[in-house]
Amino acid sequence: MGHYIVKRILLMIPTLLLISFVVFVIIQLPPGDYLESYIAELQAQGESVDMEKIAYLREEYGLDKSFFQQYISWVSGFVQGDYGYSFEYDLPVSEVVGDRMYLTIAVSVLTILFTWIIAFPIGLYSATHQYSWGDYGLTLIGFIGLATPNFLLALVMLYLANVYFGTSIGGLMDEQYINQPWSWDKVKSVLEHLWIPVVVIGTSGTAGMIRRLRANLLDELHKPYVVTGRAKGLPETRLLLKYPFRVSLNFFIADIGSMLPSIISGAEIVALVLSLPTTGPMLLGALQSQDMYLAGSFLMFLAMLTVVGVLISDLLLAVLDPRIRLEGGAQR
Amino acid sequence: MKVSSVWVLLLSMLISVDTFAIEPQPPEQPRIMELLPPQTYGKQGGSLRVLMAKSKDIRMLNVYGYARLVGYDQNFELVPDILLSYENEDDRIFTLHLRPGHRWSDGVLFTSEDFRFYWEDVALNKDLSPYGPPKALQVDGEFPTVEIVDELTIRFTWSTPNPHFLPLLAAPRALSIYFPAHYMRQFHNKYVDADRLESLRKQAKKRNWVALFKSKDNVYRMDNPDLPTLQPWYNTTFKPADRFVFLRNPFFHRVDARGTQLPYIDEVVVNIVGSSLIAAKARAGESDLQGRYIRLDNYTFLKEGEKQSNYQVRFWKAARGSQFALYPNLNANDEQWRILNRDVRYRRALSMAINRHEINQVVYYGLASEGGNTLLPESSLFQEDFMRIWNQYSPQEANQLLDEIGLTERDERGVRLLPDGRPMNLIVHTAGEDTEETDVLQLIHDHWLDIGIKLYIRPSQREVFRSRVISGDAVMSVWKGLDNALATSDMSPWELAPYSQQQLQWSKWGDYYETGKGSAPDLLPATRLRTLVEDWERSRNRQQRWDIWQEMLKIYSNQVFSIGTVTGIMQPIVVSNDLRNVPAQGWYSWEPGSYFGVYNPDTFWLIKSRREQ
Repeated sequence: MGHYIVKRILLMIPTLLLISFVVFVIIQLPPGDYLESYIAELQAQGESVDMEKIAYLREEYGLDKSFFQQYISWVSGFVQGDYGYSFEYDLPVSEVVGDRMYLTIAVSVLTILFTWIIAFPIGLYSATHQYSWGDYGLTLIGFIGLATPNFLLALVMLYLANVYFGTSIGGLMDEQYINQPWSWDKVKSVLEHLWIPVVVIGTSGTAGMIRRLRANLLDELHKPYVVTGRAKGLPETRLLLKYPFRVSLNFFIADIGSMLPSIISGAEIVALVLSLPTTGPMLLGALQSQDMYLAGSFLMFLAMLTVVGVLISDLLLAVLDPRIRLEGGAQR
Repeated sequence: MKVSSVWVLLLSMLISVDTFAIEPQPPEQPRIMELLPPQTYGKQGGSLRVLMAKSKDIRMLNVYGYARLVGYDQNFELVPDILLSYENEDDRIFTLHLRPGHRWSDGVLFTSEDFRFYWEDVALNKDLSPYGPPKALQVDGEFPTVEIVDELTIRFTWSTPNPHFLPLLAAPRALSIYFPAHYMRQFHNKYVDADRLESLRKQAKKRNWVALFKSKDNVYRMDNPDLPTLQPWYNTTFKPADRFVFLRNPFFHRVDARGTQLPYIDEVVVNIVGSSLIAAKARAGESDLQGRYIRLDNYTFLKEGEKQSNYQVRFWKAARGSQFALYPNLNANDEQWRILNRDVRYRRALSMAINRHEINQVVYYGLASEGGNTLLPESSLFQEDFMRIWNQYSPQEANQLLDEIGLTERDERGVRLLPDGRPMNLIVHTAGEDTEETDVLQLIHDHWLDIGIKLYIRPSQREVFRSRVISGDAVMSVWKGLDNALATSDMSPWELAPYSQQQLQWSKWGDYYETGKGSAPDLLPATRLRTLVEDWERSRNRQQRWDIWQEMLKIYSNQVFSIGTVTGIMQPIVVSNDLRNVPAQGWYSWEPGSYFGVYNPDTFWLIKSRREQ
């Protein structure tokens, strides 16, 4: 086991290096560079562009260097904790991200919890009451959540919240609390706004989870070990939760790999529609304006979290399900 | 925030920058603003909220504030603003007089030293300006002589006329020829010893002192709260932020005729939200003055919310030459298409095949006026003919012209064939930003199919769009028409001639004049236009300039270098019912109006601050 973990961690280094290269190539793929988009932005409203100033900026930002020089300087900086410079914000990347990271994590963690709280009981119920009215009814609701476009639901709920509760439109708090230190009123204002993205993003996730839990559980429910347990007189709930439920959680543990990055990136489109001060809209903006170090750093964070997440889910799977072996090779 | 606490905050800030506390006051000879009815004299106070989509947009406060050395008044005539007065001899010698006792927002005197510092220590400094002073100050390769006559007088002298100079100072993004010397000196290697500069550089994590200096000096962007300003409001919020608070400049140089110092409004709060939410938030009453990011098609939605959210939607006019114009790329890479684009008969045919009336009715509720991409009737240079010529809907004539060019072969769909046998599938590139563009293009698609040209719409990203046009990959593109459609003969006619890489119909020719790269124009009317711009730059009197403008407008519309559609579009402006002195009608334009700038937002006032409600 220990040997396996060390090997996995060492393997992460070339993986991340490869990812960093691919990320950088992709960000640089569209024609032009940040300054091109900067000029385009100025041009859009007729602001004049001083080409010599642009030439100066190009040199200053190192955009005149070759692709590989830019890549090397970014990667070597990244290792030392210097994430480069955001052209768009004219600040180091680390300062730009700042607070947004915490709010993003708050939104995402709550969303994940919301999904679980809804999906687990429904999944359990659906599987144990297969083809009943309750099964069909709850599944239908889940599918409606999946089928409704998130951005549309977000807009509708924004409107309703504004009309009926007087919640200010968009954002995560009333405007007077932005940039203010934390206070009870500010927390209340955040909670008042937070439920919309949580419900909107959450509803789309529940349907998938309900279905997978239901399917996995149904596979297990009629296996001999369950029948044996029941025959030996185990109470139904305890039987369900201790054995088949535990086995059916495999998919859930395997999901952790993708869950970690979604904590950071979670639902960009909804965040964009709701104008949430999270990292999603920032990443999108950075990609659009080719603010390459900002975009690259985000993508690298996501890649790192994915790699770490997959490791964690592999290890947890081994703990959860004794049938899974990590050492590899034939075993008897 | 109550007024008194604003003062306390201000004073404490003044003390912290090691200046002795000075009574906030306007200059000894302030600019006196006469308010004509229906405008009323107001009182100081209140907080104004506006919405922006990007934190970079706070630069709009510099545009709205519109404190310029000289600026346009509401009739678009130049008047001294920050300057007490100026003298102009033959457009060659400009003598600028400052107001005695005029102070920066931090209370330090604004003097000719600020001009000297900029010119000698920044513009002529090889490290800070490796390419020399701004190109805009150059006439025939020569920069002006800058003399500091006394503490309040500066003189700029050229040997040939520079008619650009004053308009550049009045531009929405004004040419900056002065810096707050007392502040910027602390980042200049001439004034600070190397050790101190080095530690400042390290603190700011900049590559060298030049980068450090440049990160502090951006007067226009308003993103450095430490940088003193002469604008009516100054920023107090460091980025990154989603809410920027601007406070009134206690040393601002304008007062109303009753002696109350302007601006009336104490505080401007800029909230940053997604651009798609701005109309919705405005409707919920979360903006007191909003024009940016609101479009004509938001009008009914906004109108509905008027009562509920205590605001009024006003219609201003957008001052674009054309709301929507097509640009045949005369520098396209594809040879066949390039030859066609350069054929004036082809451009005229395309223009005549467009049914502008239909576009007006379908997309703009019939509220626009139809015609080519030229100046608006409100400009003194306007002539009816420029707007009408080659813009009358006539598919027959258009078809005839195309036949005349020799595009007579058609394929089974009825689409004409290019000389090399390819069907005329014309791809029009758009920046893909709003549905208005694609709506209009859908209509044009049908119009052009009638003359045997099949149109395909290709939306992309603004940046990608631009680089495709510049590289010559795009055969035709779509963008807004002339920026300054209210021009007077004193404003430069550069937009009508190859001048800059940003011009979509001849960006390579523009590049040639801008940077020396690209290629020189080889189309007679285009080179003629270019010569005329150069003549305008050397011209000495108004009559001559007027004649040049007329000839250029004539060539431009006669040659159909851009295909205009409709103009005079209404721009909805959301104005809170508590906000006074916002004109009922106005021009909403970047150039020359600086959006709200020429209407002096410093004279707007709030009947009650929000906290009192």
